[in-house]
Amino acid sequence: MRMISLLLILITSFFFTGIIIRTKSILSGRKGPGIMQPMKDIIRSLRIGSVYSKTTSFIFQLAPTVYIATILMAILFIPFGNQRGVLSFNGDFVFFAYTLALGKFFMIIASLDTGSSFEGMGASREALYSMLVEPAFFIIMGSFSLLTGFTSFVDIFSAMHFGSYVTYGLGALAAFVFAIIALIENSRMPVDDPKTHLELTMIHEVMILDNSGYDLGLILYGTNLKFAMYGALIANFFHTPGYEWYYSIPIFFGVQLAFAVTVGVVESFSARFRMNHNPQFILMFTSISLLIFLGVLLLTGKII
Amino acid sequence: MNPEFIVFGICGFVVLSILLIPLLRANLKSVTALFLIFLNALLTSVPAIGALLGNTFTLEIFGGLNFGNILLEIDPLSAWFILIVNITLINGAIYGIGYMKAYEKQTGNLSLHWIMFVIFHASMLWVCMLHNGFAFLIAWEIMTLSSLILVLFDHNKANTLQAGVNYLVQMHIGVAFLTLAFIWIFVTQQTSGFQGIATFLQGPHTHWVILFFFLGFGIKAGFIPLHTWLPYAHPAAPSHVSGVMSGVIVKMGIYGIIRIAMMINTDALIPGIMLMMISAATTLYGILNAAVHRDFKKMLAFCTTENIGIIGMGIGLALIGKALDNQALLIFGFAAALIHVLNHSLYKSLLFFAAGNIYTKTHTRNMEMLGGLIRQMPQTAILFLIGALAIGGLPPFNGFVSKFLVYSGFVEAFRNQDMALNALMIIGITILSMAGGVSLLTFTKAFGTIFLGEPRSEIMHRPGEVSLLMRLPLYAIVLIMLVIGVFPVLVMNPVLSIITGFTPAGLIMPFTNITGMLTLVGRASLLLIVLIALLYFIRSLAFRRKPVEITSTWGCGYIAPGHAMQYTGKSFSKSLAKLFGFITIENKKYKELKTVSIFPSPRTYTSCYLEFFETRIIDPVIRQFLRLFNYFTFIHNGKIQFYVLYGLLFMVILIILSFINVL
Repeated sequence: MRMISLLLILITSFFFTGIIIRTKSILSGRKGPGIMQPMKDIIRSLRIGSVYSKTTSFIFQLAPTVYIATILMAILFIPFGNQRGVLSFNGDFVFFAYTLALGKFFMIIASLDTGSSFEGMGASREALYSMLVEPAFFIIMGSFSLLTGFTSFVDIFSAMHFGSYVTYGLGALAAFVFAIIALIENSRMPVDDPKTHLELTMIHEVMILDNSGYDLGLILYGTNLKFAMYGALIANFFHTPGYEWYYSIPIFFGVQLAFAVTVGVVESFSARFRMNHNPQFILMFTSISLLIFLGVLLLTGKII
Repeated sequence: MNPEFIVFGICGFVVLSILLIPLLRANLKSVTALFLIFLNALLTSVPAIGALLGNTFTLEIFGGLNFGNILLEIDPLSAWFILIVNITLINGAIYGIGYMKAYEKQTGNLSLHWIMFVIFHASMLWVCMLHNGFAFLIAWEIMTLSSLILVLFDHNKANTLQAGVNYLVQMHIGVAFLTLAFIWIFVTQQTSGFQGIATFLQGPHTHWVILFFFLGFGIKAGFIPLHTWLPYAHPAAPSHVSGVMSGVIVKMGIYGIIRIAMMINTDALIPGIMLMMISAATTLYGILNAAVHRDFKKMLAFCTTENIGIIGMGIGLALIGKALDNQALLIFGFAAALIHVLNHSLYKSLLFFAAGNIYTKTHTRNMEMLGGLIRQMPQTAILFLIGALAIGGLPPFNGFVSKFLVYSGFVEAFRNQDMALNALMIIGITILSMAGGVSLLTFTKAFGTIFLGEPRSEIMHRPGEVSLLMRLPLYAIVLIMLVIGVFPVLVMNPVLSIITGFTPAGLIMPFTNITGMLTLVGRASLLLIVLIALLYFIRSLAFRRKPVEITSTWGCGYIAPGHAMQYTGKSFSKSLAKLFGFITIENKKYKELKTVSIFPSPRTYTSCYLEFFETRIIDPVIRQFLRLFNYFTFIHNGKIQFYVLYGLLFMVILIILSFINVL
């Protein structure tokens, strides 16, 4: 039963970006590609040959593999309701965050490996934004461990459902912050525009300009997996107290669907921020997570 | 082993080094030094391992009337630091043999250097073993002076001399505080043994002494604002010395702080909170400065400050745990601090040695001049990369283990009911996670700029891989790091025995769940390695039948990109530096372009980052003092007869004072 969250996340990952793209095409009145189109693109990438720059070294070839491995590793920690993930121990959220950071480290040095000025620019932004977004995640997880007294994902999530409406409120707030973290980590609107055509304004897209074939396929699938992973984290805030599977699984897919549609809607109706406004935007979520911390202090009666 | 044998052995080998090394040929000096260091390490490691297994080693020496009996003791804490010193110094000496090959012509200088290296090692061992305040101070002073001479190896350069003087002066400010603290203890307790400190700290009014101890040891360790010697001394020293200094000499300051922290019994809360706040500030400040500098050894020096901050947070947590009577917190805190001391000494010496490899081959410390070295020095590149991953606290390496313990400590402290303490913990979590992010930026920048891309400038020497002697110790360090990363329990068990030794009532809490947790962390790290290997294997299978083409980097439509168009290290960290502009002060020097100038004239533009504490606080204060003291320059006018007159005047004043019964 420990594999259930892994399986569900893998299933979701096949559809996630498809749903985003479908939402966008419906909202803009286009016919648009089918839901499976992103997956088909990825499979095609995995099958064709590759082109490498002569500037690059083995780092460039190793990085996409490390990236996908770290995401898979991080997914192993995600619980499903009161079902533990494949791996679970006290403080596993720290391992979760640092594993993802390892993948990011490799992606950044891989883009510096090409010696391209644009890719260095993207790498610099990616490093800065992931640095700024890190505290929000840790403050939220810290607050919930303060609230529940536990320190692993599954214990925190299962202890949160003791029925009080306030915890659901806090959960909703945290879900909002997690959703934004997912957008920033995956370099989507409003921080980065995956569809832009100007390299100077890209973040993630410009980092992988030189990747092709199998490696590009891995990176693209990595984005899908990351979205599904954060969606699964968010879904954990909304389970029913009894964890009946006939509620939990529809809730899981419902949350993932709502998340994907929201991303599509945000991308349809908003423009990318100016680069120098991004840090302020990201730090705002650190302050929202501080709000959650204050809420938790109130709930546990430590303030007053 | 016979206790006397160890004492006389260490002294004997030091004397032997002084007698023997100057007589030998240049290439034998270093080998002899390594041999003597190895013997000293062997002599002390055996009882140290014994101490960690439970057999504390003690010896009392009669030290005359002034000192009283000097207690020499290897308890688990000393043993831990002795083993760290030994590992780092042996690695440093092996590396140094290779590194100093280039300087074989300076025979006299070289003799002094290697003698000092042996003395330096011995003095650190003494510092760890001596449990008598005054004897400790002497060993401490020998350690400072020998390391000063090691730093000054390149004494023909003005920068090195300046760094050396800076180091000397700051260390003696520290010694002054330590002396004051030890004298205070001596006066109140009538003994200079460490036992006196323990009894003193159980009494009332201990805050001043704790503060003096913190200032004295903190200058060595490099807590802000006492860290200003670090970014000068580390780059100035030869690389094996910087590795050793950053790896262990700053840890001697930590040793002192832990020694005192473990003795604080009553009212540990305030020192704990203060230490925690200073350490949090140190962590963030250190890593922000590391992110912006382009001198890679200076970058590593600032990074040391960051890691000292993390160690300090561990000690702070432990003190808070002691005050709150929360044993889990005490264990998390001390374990995090002690394991991080070991981890940092490993990867920081690894990084400094790798930096030394780069410097040997390229003769520059400016990373903006480098690039693409991964092709000429692939092994150094991989070693540097592993060091960078470990120092960023990324799994599966050892850095993650200690950071994980610090996080666990923060979360454990949430069990307390006090709102202010909870807020402090969330600040700690925020700063630690931010520092992790900035260190990711710092080391991707350093690795990317030095090793990846195209060479940024024409380097005179054609770089190649360094000699085997300069790679071997690095591989050894990587091996130890991986073992700690995958089997953290191996280091956790001795650390638990250290902590048990310092808890008078013994540990009541069963710590099996802490070791169990670490076992799982190790397994997860192993799984991560296996997963990466597996996926890479699948990838290589998939690539068998695929066409692979090699072309130039995609230039976004531009067909003639050059190496000067690459992203520089400075621009990589520029947006971060701008965001934290109040800490990382950028100093730009250029002339504004005038509207009237028709023909372009040659222009220069320089930019460097200044240190906040030095430029904004220390320097202005010193300037004011100098202005004040200028009014008194007439006193030392260089004429002997005046000085004699001052003596007479002093006596006259004394006589007058005794007449009016003041004295």
